[in-house]
Amino acid sequence: MTALRVVRARFARRERRRAGSSLWRLHRSESIAGYTFLLPTVVFFALFVGWPILFAIGLSFTSWSGFGAATFTGSANYTRMFNDPVAQRAFVVTILFAVATTVLGTVIPLVVAVLVNFVWKGLSVVVRTILFIPAVVSFVVSGVLWNLIYDPNIGTLNRTLKAIGLGHFAQQWLSNPTTVLPSIIVVALWGALGLNMLIFFAGIQGIDPTYYEAAQIDGASGMQQFFYITIPGLRIVTAIVVALNLMNGFKVFDIIYVMTGGGPSHASDVFGTYLYGLAFGSTSGSIPQLGYASAFSVVVMMLCGLAVFFQIGLARRANR
Amino acid sequence: MTTQLKTPRTMLDKSFVAFILIAISALTIFPLVWLVLTSLRERNTIFNGPFIPARITFKAYPNAWNSIDFGLHFANSAWITTATVVGVLVFSTLAGYAFAKLRFPFKNLIYVILLVTLMMPATALIIPLYLQLKALGLLNTQVGLIMLYVSGSAPFAMFLMRAFFETLPDELMQAARIDGAGEFAIFWRVILPLARPGIAVVVIFQFLSTWNEFIYANTVLQNTGSLPLQPVLFSLMGQYQTNWPMLTAGLTMSIVPVILVYVWMQRQFVAGLTLGAVKN
Repeated sequence: MTALRVVRARFARRERRRAGSSLWRLHRSESIAGYTFLLPTVVFFALFVGWPILFAIGLSFTSWSGFGAATFTGSANYTRMFNDPVAQRAFVVTILFAVATTVLGTVIPLVVAVLVNFVWKGLSVVVRTILFIPAVVSFVVSGVLWNLIYDPNIGTLNRTLKAIGLGHFAQQWLSNPTTVLPSIIVVALWGALGLNMLIFFAGIQGIDPTYYEAAQIDGASGMQQFFYITIPGLRIVTAIVVALNLMNGFKVFDIIYVMTGGGPSHASDVFGTYLYGLAFGSTSGSIPQLGYASAFSVVVMMLCGLAVFFQIGLARRANR
Repeated sequence: MTTQLKTPRTMLDKSFVAFILIAISALTIFPLVWLVLTSLRERNTIFNGPFIPARITFKAYPNAWNSIDFGLHFANSAWITTATVVGVLVFSTLAGYAFAKLRFPFKNLIYVILLVTLMMPATALIIPLYLQLKALGLLNTQVGLIMLYVSGSAPFAMFLMRAFFETLPDELMQAARIDGAGEFAIFWRVILPLARPGIAVVVIFQFLSTWNEFIYANTVLQNTGSLPLQPVLFSLMGQYQTNWPMLTAGLTMSIVPVILVYVWMQRQFVAGLTLGAVKN
């Protein structure tokens, strides 16, 4: 502490002695350093993030196959979107996926975090370590792995159901249009449980323990403590988790692309997989539809922007 | 509180909760245990046979390694990931330091613009990025892919590094300035050596996300020889649909590095998580 004070005093004396022009020079060199340090990031950012965003917006008003010149078509791609049954379906599936993963991916990790906080330290560490492991595995690996588990003939799920006498529940999990989305959502929740639980756990550790002590003295039950201390204490953390989940839900791609490719017959197609198919795959014929696909890019960007505003709004309210 | 903890009632509650948590953990880890066990089975016992294989065989591993050229793709993944981590570190420490400790005009404006794009999903940018790489002649090259990774990840890493640098006292730089050190020397000799914990966090996060990245790698690279692991694993699914031991052996080998890094650097990982989440 005294060392710091000495340094501070030395610095102040030095500043005073220099005064005027040299102080200004100091500031100018700081500005130059600041811009120089930012240069690599800003250049790369402009080339590979900033410009592409503008480019995607521009492309969304054109019709282009990637060869020759793009033709300006105004808002035709956007009106087409409204009349495209596959796009409407993708919209519904995207929203369903985002809402389901957000609600379940917030409530379940919250409850688990409270339970983890309640048990003995040693067990808590082990449980936290295990629950987080699926989060470090790639979506390709977890997608392929779960495809094997869901396999209708030899998959573990159906075989287990048959073994315990629930054989009539056995399904073509990923080729049945009604079960495909819930099946994928289970995988998404499996992957995200550990991360969201850890964020909640860190939040619970940050709540002042004297609140709980006071509540216990007043005879509050565990449930009452949960609803009147833990939940209000986690408002900001919850806002973060909800926003993260929403964003991840809106931009979902890998897990669906790997597991079903959007099938069967678009039952699990979301904006991400549909636009990818339009641009690079064979969703509708062989000609890439870069303009139409870009219109979906713009919509995905706007949805994610919405999630960010939602988070800022929630955080503001929570701070009050 | 202490008196309550010791009552038999609480012990019973704790045991019950412990039981639930153990069940949840078992269920969560089950798919990965099953993955490893399947890779150790004889090929003709995957459809029947008990959960724990009666006979263990490692035959599937050399098979998978040889038939998909695993070593090559593993090396590709390692090189692409290393280059990306280094690039992101250079960019994010420089920019994070500038935002945390230096004063210059338009600082906040630039910061906000960089941060707004944190939420940009890969799918939204994939088309223009593809065209951009094509225009620069970098399509189908690992360098092009690495450039996409670095530019896409640098803002988040910068955000973490800024949060970290803000915890260092200003007096450090002021003292160095008095001693006549230039701005870069201050950064390199004074600040960076103190930034090790922050750097560790960025390295872990970047390693995991780059190693696991799929969509850009799958789109930008077309030569089989230059592909990293994830797109190759994806194509395995169609190729070896019925050879489960081989398929699962490939998947298992691909997750060894991430599991090792996770277990090895778990503490920094959790620290980074709270740094990121709290600062959000």
